[in-house]
Amino acid sequence: MFIDELDRFGAEDVQLCYQCGDCSTVCPHADEVYKFPRKSMRLLQMGLEQKLETTLEPWLCYYCGQCSEQCPRDADPGETMMSLRRWLISRYDFTGISRMFFKSRITEVLAIIAVALLTGAFLIYYGLSGGSISIYDGEGAFLPSTFIHRFDLTIGAILLVFLVLNAIHMWYLVMIKGTPFNVPWWLYLKELYQLPWHFFTQKRYADCEKKREHKVYMPWLLHLGLMLGYVTMLLLVMVFIEQLQAGPAILWRVHIFGYLASVGLIAGTIYFIRSRFKKHYIQYKKSHGTDWVFVTLLFIIVVTGIAQHVFHRTGLYEPANITYVIHLMSVVPWLLRMPFSKWAHLIYRPLAMYFSAVRREALMRQVSILNSYPVVVK
Amino acid sequence: MRTGVFFCQTGDNRNLNIDAIAKYSANLPDVETVQILRLKPLPDLVFLREQIITHKLGRIVIAGDIPGYYKPVFTRAMAMAGGDTDEIHLASFQEHGAKGENAMDRAKAIVACATMGVPFPLAAIPGGNPVNHATLIIGGGIAGIQSALEIANAGKQVFLVEQTGTIGGHMAMFDKTFPTLDCAACILTPKMVSVGQHEMIRLLTRSKVVAVSGKPGSYRVKIRQSARFVDINACVACNQCAEVCPVRVKSEFDAGISLRKAIYIPFPQAVPNAYLVDEKSCSYILSEGKKCGVCVKKCPKECINLNEKDHITDIEVGNIILATGYELLDVSPIEQYGYGTFPNVLTSIEFERLTNASGTTGGRIVTKTKQFNRKLNKDEWVFSPEGVPPRSVALIHCVGSRNKKYNAYCSRVCCMYSLKFAHLIKEKVPNANVYEFYIDMRAFGKGYEEFAERIKQEGTFVVRGHSASVTMVDGQMAVRGEDIFNDRLVEFKVDIIVLAVGLIPSPGTEELSRMLGIQRDTDGWFSELDYNGSPTDTDRGGIFVAGMCQAPKDIPDTVAQASAVAAGVLGSLTSGKGIGHMSSVTLSEIEARAKTIHTI
Repeated sequence: MFIDELDRFGAEDVQLCYQCGDCSTVCPHADEVYKFPRKSMRLLQMGLEQKLETTLEPWLCYYCGQCSEQCPRDADPGETMMSLRRWLISRYDFTGISRMFFKSRITEVLAIIAVALLTGAFLIYYGLSGGSISIYDGEGAFLPSTFIHRFDLTIGAILLVFLVLNAIHMWYLVMIKGTPFNVPWWLYLKELYQLPWHFFTQKRYADCEKKREHKVYMPWLLHLGLMLGYVTMLLLVMVFIEQLQAGPAILWRVHIFGYLASVGLIAGTIYFIRSRFKKHYIQYKKSHGTDWVFVTLLFIIVVTGIAQHVFHRTGLYEPANITYVIHLMSVVPWLLRMPFSKWAHLIYRPLAMYFSAVRREALMRQVSILNSYPVVVK
Repeated sequence: MRTGVFFCQTGDNRNLNIDAIAKYSANLPDVETVQILRLKPLPDLVFLREQIITHKLGRIVIAGDIPGYYKPVFTRAMAMAGGDTDEIHLASFQEHGAKGENAMDRAKAIVACATMGVPFPLAAIPGGNPVNHATLIIGGGIAGIQSALEIANAGKQVFLVEQTGTIGGHMAMFDKTFPTLDCAACILTPKMVSVGQHEMIRLLTRSKVVAVSGKPGSYRVKIRQSARFVDINACVACNQCAEVCPVRVKSEFDAGISLRKAIYIPFPQAVPNAYLVDEKSCSYILSEGKKCGVCVKKCPKECINLNEKDHITDIEVGNIILATGYELLDVSPIEQYGYGTFPNVLTSIEFERLTNASGTTGGRIVTKTKQFNRKLNKDEWVFSPEGVPPRSVALIHCVGSRNKKYNAYCSRVCCMYSLKFAHLIKEKVPNANVYEFYIDMRAFGKGYEEFAERIKQEGTFVVRGHSASVTMVDGQMAVRGEDIFNDRLVEFKVDIIVLAVGLIPSPGTEELSRMLGIQRDTDGWFSELDYNGSPTDTDRGGIFVAGMCQAPKDIPDTVAQASAVAAGVLGSLTSGKGIGHMSSVTLSEIEARAKTIHTI
């Protein structure tokens, strides 16, 4: 049963829903074209798997939790949307790895440990064969920055291949299979601005608060900080790693970005780990296994990254090299896991916003065509 | 006769230990074999035939929750074995009520009677206690009134205890009844008058039961009658006292939407038709005789005595009928509807009083108007006859009902009265838009579905989809909802919102259940003995339930149950066997009686 399968992704109480529509009423994002969560719940209850995989609604939800607070049946629509997002990630992924990870926490953890150990072995072997553990940078370094640069780019290329393929799969499901009417190509160009806009501002997340009285929505702010920090860091590591690793003098024009990104990452991860422990917001009440792996791994990466930086600048080269190896041991599984895990929503969400805008425009066009040219048979 | 007992119990019955009953039945006289068959779906025919032949069985007892289901198999087996097919007896635990505390003893008795071939009801006759022929009815709503009239018309004494100043209950507050749109008062008030004038009914208004003792057939009841401060027999309801009374408080009968004086009559048709003084607001009583007292001087009949004291009455009755009714759930915690914040959000009972012809606006449906209150020195929103009729009204079903946070159960009447409201609005304000937001339309009774269809044809926008959001923008309320059948989100600008509020047991229910030893279900309503078999009895003998206090139900069902209760009471009075209760009959008594019948 489809509903039982979704249970493994976290949607436990869908059967309780009796379709009153309270959730759609209170949702700040539900509108004329994209009505959710009730409709998604209904599709789920009816087991319309083929229909659900073409919907964009789960990506339009940012899980403010108002629907779950309001639900008269405790069917938890917010968590259902979250689970549908997990399921969609596994659906967009053609390899099936993601599905395995979401369904079994042990498989995921074992895979991460295996990749981490392999990476560690490779790095130590490389480091010992060409350099000394007491040299951090330059001639005879344990892990020279040119090597790391090449290493990063290789990992990045693998990551990119998977992400692009998955994104194309998503586009096929959503725009070809799930859109029964013609979408003109220029609509894609017209709405292209949506992609960077939603990527860098996450404006819709902030809109989650418009029905409440809070001035600033903390989850949004911290999520934005975390995301921007992560993207900056990714860019620095992929492109500017040689300047970043040079030292021990601080190269301000590069490092300032690194420090800012670290602040965002640290604040974000600590906030989200704390929330998942305290469960004071409804959206943190239920944490799926993958959520914990996500925040914990990110936290380890951030802490080891900062530690190796501090050790390097203070002249403790040996600890710096060791923490660097640990850092890379957590970074590599993290990056390789990215297209198969929750972190893929970095790509899917802005894409979904973009596709939803294109689809809405196309639908409006369709409606106006139908309205203006009545088909006269006789 | 050689008897075989076969237990056919599918599924679990938490109260019954089948193995223990089987052991007990093995020791009964003439029992040759006892077997526990746990066979699904049916026991094996050949096996049964062999059993009958090997044990030379002349009689078969099938025991279980639904033994009748297995009877055909046993009949065929018996016929194949050449036995007498009339000697197959059923020991049905479910039918004879083997549940609750005495479930095991009852089940054993059922099996014992069946092995002897004696019908269980013949052997297990409760009773023995002589019955007092007076009956106490607690609650003077339509249920209490109906029961009282049925019993009193049969010539038996009835004490009708009512907590407020008049009988009539909630039904007196209603304008029309669904689905026939009959005038509620036209049905109720003749009955009220009959109660007031009946020689066999003693009406005790403003009274409360404070203590009950005794056993089935003779209960001693202590009733505390609060002072009315007005002589019922002398008062002619001339209204002169109320004209001079300076105190104004919210009227309970008008659900708080209008004001009354401290000396008042709840409504003109009240029974007993006499004024009363509200001791909680009368300034004479509150100041202990230092202030006011103008009504005493004004009264032409000199029937007001503001120094009257409460007094206690002791009565003895044989049967007690509970008809304590219900009240509305407090909606103010359900914040999303803005009740208490937005002036024109009304509960169902408030709207009922607004649309009632005897209400504060004379039956005109209007929005609230702002009025300056000099005493509190601020603006207040009140209903006045000069109010403006609404351009659109939203009716929201299931407010607090079918909701795990408030009432998990369905309140059963809300769908129908909301439809009735829609009709009344269309009738009185023809060009108003009416929007009904519902989850499931529960129109379950005779003529109800047709009524719902009729309302839809009258131009009401019936939206399948609940609303959980009421907002106010520039003094204009807006209701947001999802129209599921038409697949769109809707937002309607409305002037009045009526909430179909869920029902809860009346506040005295818990105290009364403790006093009488009656159980309540998880939702707080009184528990009946058996929902299907005996919906009016309780687990104590001589105590019955009628109307809403058992579970939410509409007026026809309430009246039907009230009459059924009267039949139960009159049955106990006229049977001559005395009153008792099944739970009071012990296993040994039943066995002994069964043996006596068996030997005959």
